[in-house]
Amino acid sequence: MIGEDDGLDAGREAFKEEAAELLTELETSLLELEEHPTDEDLIGRVFRAMHTVKGSGAMFGFDDIAEFTHEVETAFDMVRMGKLAVTKELTNLTLRARDQIRTMIEASEGKATVDHNVSKSIIGSLQLLTRGGQAKEVQGQESGETPAKKPSKTDSADGAHSITYRIRFKPAADLFVTGTNPILLLNELRQMGSSMVIAQTDAITRLEEFNPETCATYWDIILTTTHSANAIKDVFIFVDDMCDLHVEVVDEEGEYDEGEGYMKLGEILAARGDVKIDELKKLLGKQKKVGEILVDAGIVDSGHIESALAEQQHIKEVREQRQKTADGAASIRVPSERLDKLVDLVGELVTVQARLSQTAAINGEVLLTSIAEEVERLTWELRDSTMSIRMLPIGTTFSKFKRLVRDLSNDLGKEIQMTTDGAETELDKTVIEKLNDPLVHIIRNSIDHGVERPDVREAAGKPRMGTVHLSAGHSGANVLIKIEDDGAGLDKERILKKAIDNGLVAPDAELSEKEIFGMIFAPGFSTAAKVTNVSGRGVGMDVVKKNIDALRGIVEVKSKKGAGTTITLRLPLTLAIIDGLLVKIADEVFVIPLAVVEECVELSKKDIERTHGRHVSNVRGVLIPYIRLREHFLIDAEEPEMEQIVITEVEDKKVGFVVDYVIGEHQTVIKTLGRVFKDIEGVSGATILGDGTVALIMDIPSLVRSVARHEPAIAEAVGV
Amino acid sequence: MSATATSEPTQYLTFELEEETFALDISKVREVLEFSSVTKVPRTPEFMRGVINLRGSVVPVVDLRLKFGMTRTEKTVNTCVIIVEVSFESESMVLGALADSVQEVIELEPEKIEPAPSIGMQLRTDFIKGMGKRDEEFIIILDIDKIFTADELAFAQEASQSAA
Amino acid sequence: MAKVIMTVDDSASVRQMVAFTLKGAGYTVVEAVDGKDALSKLAQTQINMMITDLNMPNLDGIGLIKGVRAMPAYKFIPIVMLTTESQDSKKQEGKSAGATGWIVKPFKPDQLLAVVKKVLG
Repeated sequence: MIGEDDGLDAGREAFKEEAAELLTELETSLLELEEHPTDEDLIGRVFRAMHTVKGSGAMFGFDDIAEFTHEVETAFDMVRMGKLAVTKELTNLTLRARDQIRTMIEASEGKATVDHNVSKSIIGSLQLLTRGGQAKEVQGQESGETPAKKPSKTDSADGAHSITYRIRFKPAADLFVTGTNPILLLNELRQMGSSMVIAQTDAITRLEEFNPETCATYWDIILTTTHSANAIKDVFIFVDDMCDLHVEVVDEEGEYDEGEGYMKLGEILAARGDVKIDELKKLLGKQKKVGEILVDAGIVDSGHIESALAEQQHIKEVREQRQKTADGAASIRVPSERLDKLVDLVGELVTVQARLSQTAAINGEVLLTSIAEEVERLTWELRDSTMSIRMLPIGTTFSKFKRLVRDLSNDLGKEIQMTTDGAETELDKTVIEKLNDPLVHIIRNSIDHGVERPDVREAAGKPRMGTVHLSAGHSGANVLIKIEDDGAGLDKERILKKAIDNGLVAPDAELSEKEIFGMIFAPGFSTAAKVTNVSGRGVGMDVVKKNIDALRGIVEVKSKKGAGTTITLRLPLTLAIIDGLLVKIADEVFVIPLAVVEECVELSKKDIERTHGRHVSNVRGVLIPYIRLREHFLIDAEEPEMEQIVITEVEDKKVGFVVDYVIGEHQTVIKTLGRVFKDIEGVSGATILGDGTVALIMDIPSLVRSVARHEPAIAEAVGV
Repeated sequence: MSATATSEPTQYLTFELEEETFALDISKVREVLEFSSVTKVPRTPEFMRGVINLRGSVVPVVDLRLKFGMTRTEKTVNTCVIIVEVSFESESMVLGALADSVQEVIELEPEKIEPAPSIGMQLRTDFIKGMGKRDEEFIIILDIDKIFTADELAFAQEASQSAA
Repeated sequence: MAKVIMTVDDSASVRQMVAFTLKGAGYTVVEAVDGKDALSKLAQTQINMMITDLNMPNLDGIGLIKGVRAMPAYKFIPIVMLTTESQDSKKQEGKSAGATGWIVKPFKPDQLLAVVKKVLG
């Protein structure tokens, strides 16, 4: 942390001043204490002075003072508790100790030297006094005086060795009176590994008897982590006397892998003590699921069953995952065309299923409806598993770049390492394939223009070795891929100048940082003063933007001069299916990708009058420009009295789209419009609706760009 | 393509556009559908009537009457979509062509087909493969690949260029 | 909005250290020199958490915790006690008065932050 040292220095100064005051006060108190050896107030004052000198001293690095003062504090703690009397000997020793402390403080400023023999002699005499009185107590206290507890610092059990624990955390009813929020403790556990948390609510009373100030819920947690059981118990350190806490190992890598099957539900419940084995056996004659039998019999409530099932499931997953990583041969290779074919078929099935559901809804026949519902469920399951087959970890792509980074940095005489994160993140196969080129361009740019030469880096106070960090992770229905470098960062002025020189922006244009950074993706743009054989031919970054656009993704650039650049690619998980919002204009139905939709508001004729025909809408005090799709799409039909605006947000710009009305959400199988329409602006594809008709999927960013070209108001609003 | 290459008779599907009879090489025709609904793709030329759902695929539909300078095809009980496979930029592509009605499949010997007259024709002669004759009636045999050449379908690029 | 933490300690250096560490982590810090001062300041400021020393003149930590818990607005806020005494008796006394947790002095800034994060989120 920057400035931490400053804070510490200021603290040290404050400590010295404070200690000087305390020592003066201590002297006075001690002298008075000699007169009134039983005055509790005086004893308290002496104790607090020592207590503070010791505590603060240790905190600001005066360990010798803290250690020394500890002995005096111990003595006065005993006095306070009536275990030691204030004698002339004690006050004498304490006064000497006080002088010694002052010398030690002065020594820290180089104004004096400490005679360690004096320290030793004082400590020795004090110990003689205190141990003479209560040797046992003192010892206990010393062992208790461990240097600072670390309640939340968790120690690792053993590197990558992962253990699954079954934890039951049952807080006392009055947990809340100590200001403890149990959710925070559960969150802390969650951060330790992969977990399942099941709240047990069987102790919650009926509403009329319910007391919100007591904690009636308890939790079962199944946690797979590399941390030790003690680390888990440490999470609950503040509440260990206010809860029942059970931590048991239920699965351990290397321990349970061979042979042993999963524990049956009944076994888990029995192991947890939720049910007795003999009760269970008595009931097992019946031909129902164990869980149902137990609930029916009132022996266990459903929360416990759920928890045990979760454990079963979790362990199964953990083991399967381990199996997967350990046993690569358990997969088969399939030509990707077959997968594509499968996806097409599923897409068709989804469409037909939608028709079936619609027909069933119109028909109203109960049997047909139930069949349609069943087909719908199966279809979605089939769809999800088909999509998951197409998912591949991005790691293989990442590792390819290691070589690229190595070779390029050698060529350029730079020292660059590549680190990666989230290599296991899964993405649609097609997306991964299409990501390769953009990633190559971005990484090349980072190495060539971003990371500086070792000597330049050294001069700037950075490590010689530069880093390019590639990471991937999920964010909702998107995958984020980040390419970070710790290089020189983007030069705003130079980019702007270049953009003006190349005629990409007007010389007097006022651009935000984001817009300026966006310039690097403009066709024919390159800021490199020198053309190298790596990059800098002015092609590359515009290709990146194009490719990412084609994947319905978004590129974001963040950069800090001197500190580095981060390029974030936000991509949809899959190309084949999106969540869409169905809207209607006259008889035409369109799909707006739900990912860009912010909200829908109404637009009345009166609203239009109020803005004097300007295409802006006032949404809670914010003016949002809108596009009349009816006009843009040249749909020749009367608009209804009340229209609706679908407000979208792309790259932080809000634009509304006026439609007749919003039908609702729709899972959309994306169909390409084919080569004939490949360059149509504002439309990215089509989908087939439940009634078999085709609806177009709008490409909002391209639509906005297209409209902006002939509508100055939109152009101004979105800064195109 | 030359009409004199072979003497084998070729099969043609005949159909009507504004009471004139046209024909297409049957090998180019995949199927004929009833014309129900079409989804217009905004900001495309009028002759592009839009897209339809062909068993899960999205297929563009062209109004041949508009393409040939006639009036727009109105929907009647006889209106059909002829699904054809055309070569477009050296790849095959499926398209739908609107016809007022589909008549029948006929056989014509190559020698019965004459080259298109260079004058007196309402539509561009390069769209025409030749003129066939049946019961004293002339049948215009279309060269469907030519109708949908890159030039003809590249309206989108034009549109975006003119807008830019 | 930044969460407000009150640090109560008769030692200026401890207050300074706590305040500096917490401010650096984005919290707003209110300082009080002893229990009495803390209670009077609580009447004017709304806080989200309290870190208090136990040994203080006027009103000690235990008394303060009891006083704070008696105020309806602060019945359930996290209160962490600073103590050099690691004996269970003192901790127990603090806990029964209503303290959420404790930090044993001396502590390092990251230890303080870890505890704050633990009880305040």
